[in-house]
Amino acid sequence: MNELKSLEHATLKVPYEIFNKRYRNAQRVLDVEARQVGTTTHELENVARKEPVTTGEIDKLLGGMVERLKAMKRKASEAITEEVQTAYVCKKRLDHLKEQATALSEPSTPQVKFYPQTAVNQWRKVRLDRMLVEYFLRNGYYECANKLAAARGLKDLTNVDIYSVAAEVETELYSQRTSRCLQWCADNKSKLRKLNSNMEFKIRIQEFIELVRQDKRLEAVRYAKKHFSTYEEDQLEDIQHCMGMLAFPKDTEVEPYRALLAPARWAGLVAQFRAEHSRLLHPARVAALPVALQLGLAALNTPQCYSAGTKVSACPACAAPLNALAVGLPHAHVSHSRLVCRISRAPLNEHNQPMVLPNGQVYGEKALKEMMKEHGSIICPKTKEVFCMKRVEKVYVM
Amino acid sequence: MDSCVGVEQDLDKAIMKFNNLNDHTSRAIQDLIDQVEDLRKELSKQPANTPLSPEQAMAVTDVAGSVRQGVFQMSTEHRELHATVSRVGKSIDRHFIADYASVAPKAETFCNDTNRPIMEQAIAQHLYRQGLEDVGDSFVSEAKITGVERTCTFALLQRCAAALAEGEPAAALHWAERRAHELHNSPLPFTLHRMQALKLARSQGVVAAIEYARRQFPSHAARHERALQAAVCALAWCTPAAGPAPPHYQHLLDPKALGAEAAELFIKEACALLRLAPLSPLAGAVLAGCRVLPALHDIRAKMTHPHVIAAWSDDELPFEVDLGEDGGGYHSVFACPILRQQASEQNPPMRLLCGHVISRDALNKLAMGAKLKCPYCPMEQSPTEARQIYFS
Repeated sequence: MNELKSLEHATLKVPYEIFNKRYRNAQRVLDVEARQVGTTTHELENVARKEPVTTGEIDKLLGGMVERLKAMKRKASEAITEEVQTAYVCKKRLDHLKEQATALSEPSTPQVKFYPQTAVNQWRKVRLDRMLVEYFLRNGYYECANKLAAARGLKDLTNVDIYSVAAEVETELYSQRTSRCLQWCADNKSKLRKLNSNMEFKIRIQEFIELVRQDKRLEAVRYAKKHFSTYEEDQLEDIQHCMGMLAFPKDTEVEPYRALLAPARWAGLVAQFRAEHSRLLHPARVAALPVALQLGLAALNTPQCYSAGTKVSACPACAAPLNALAVGLPHAHVSHSRLVCRISRAPLNEHNQPMVLPNGQVYGEKALKEMMKEHGSIICPKTKEVFCMKRVEKVYVM
Repeated sequence: MDSCVGVEQDLDKAIMKFNNLNDHTSRAIQDLIDQVEDLRKELSKQPANTPLSPEQAMAVTDVAGSVRQGVFQMSTEHRELHATVSRVGKSIDRHFIADYASVAPKAETFCNDTNRPIMEQAIAQHLYRQGLEDVGDSFVSEAKITGVERTCTFALLQRCAAALAEGEPAAALHWAERRAHELHNSPLPFTLHRMQALKLARSQGVVAAIEYARRQFPSHAARHERALQAAVCALAWCTPAAGPAPPHYQHLLDPKALGAEAAELFIKEACALLRLAPLSPLAGAVLAGCRVLPALHDIRAKMTHPHVIAAWSDDELPFEVDLGEDGGGYHSVFACPILRQQASEQNPPMRLLCGHVISRDALNKLAMGAKLKCPYCPMEQSPTEARQIYFS
């Protein structure tokens, strides 16, 4: 198991889904075109077989067929090129993932000793940026997602293009227009049904509400006849509420009609759309960033992260604001001691022995010797007590 | 790596098939068009009002038939690629784990109303720290975050490092020169000068580079003799007529690699000097998290019982994670070698008279009245002689 395998599924799967969608689309285009050419050929056959016709008429029909074929050629090549392009997006991301794998597995030759590590670090930076962009997109922060992707050149490695549709739908919904959202629902009908989504139904209800708000109640009834008649089981109650609304004035205080008529319902629709959109694209419920952040905080979390005297400035779990998140998380499991010198931040081991001061505080040998050189005595950084080197004793930690 | 290769094979196959199909389809349609056009030419030899002869009618039906067959053939050929396409998807599913969140059942709590603002504060902090003020500003306004400081000493360093990675050492050199006396033990100044010399060699010719090297290199000769030799030798391959460089100089002649390495060293050294953490809290935590995830997936795969979920309700992760050299180790953690357990306030580390350290609980268990034999050496002592010590 490695980091690629456990984290990067969505990186490939999302463009793959688009690839798959384009494939279906291309198939539809080809089918439609083939059927149309088919009809013209039938026509031609019928004309040629049945009556005595002139060559001029046949020529006209043949000309029409050539036009049809040309149109088909153009559309087919457009559709297939689109497919191939999305496949190349997948390929590009795969190449990026392979970069990390090769950097990790490359045997380090003495001359380029640092290079693979640099490459891995670089790659990790890009990964964090990718995670941030994904998080932004999934939470509707489209502007800064675009800016970050542009600043770091991550357009192909992130889904900013795929989400541009979602951004459009959301702005439309914010300005209380539904057509784009309904179009989106229609485009993804089969998948939404698989997810048991009621997005379209919710939008229909909203359109009904808007008609009521405008006091076009008869039209609302007509609208209801058209769209609510094919309801599913659990939708009956909502429909009843809608129809009940017809009996009340639009500024009613009676629930649930007041809530239905509230303008806040639009914001709810935006939130629902956002959730459904990312559910459609991503197999995971949450973005990778919170998951990695939580597990990382748990792995770094120690009991020392919470009292002012034992905090370490570099520790992510110690500092605000993440400290507040780490407090509820489990601690890292440790069965072997792992010691660092509080003065130099260097690890304590056989090369840098842990030493105990008479007050019980433990520091590294090297740092204490350096302090001795500089000041001529040892000042405990924690308690500010002063000791001489003779009173410092070794500590053996197994 | 294996997982990448596995998906790549299927993907390459799909791309190849689609490219072939694209060529084939255009060619096939063009053939059909040519066929129809030929027939038209044949027919147009006669005046437009002559009736169609039976032979001609036959030819027309033939063409119509072959066109119909041709186009349906095309749509069938495209449909046949469905298996190839779905194989790519299945391959992705097989080689990668679909739901990384399955081992972090609490991850959703980070997205609730109390925790989300905290997390987003950390994100904004990270963005500003990276010197991405523009992105940070739009994030702050889009996510409605308050209380994040916009300026950050780290951002300046980050900008120097970014310039370095682009191959421009001037800003970093300036920074290093002002702190020359604090950096006299660091390899940073020489690395920057070397980069500048090699950059001059590319932009203004080898002579300029040698002059620069004469001015700057001598003061670093003692500490970086080998690297200095290599750098000057590498200049030999900076002339336009030079052939390909031998492998151990290629690294020096690749401005991108050199820049990335220098940038990393710069951040490391500058942070050490200014006592800053080289990674932002967010980056540090996410890095650690990415290392934990595979291990958690592993353990989950091994356990049939959903112990991982149960383990989360405990106050410890279910296993020990190695966070690597740069990924963790911010705090000293003492684990009692007897009880294999992390020390706590109730069970602190105790130093025995001989210097060995065990936890207080272990000490109490090992003590036989007023006598205690150290578990690691032959020394006998009284348990009251042990002293509590502090690692943090």
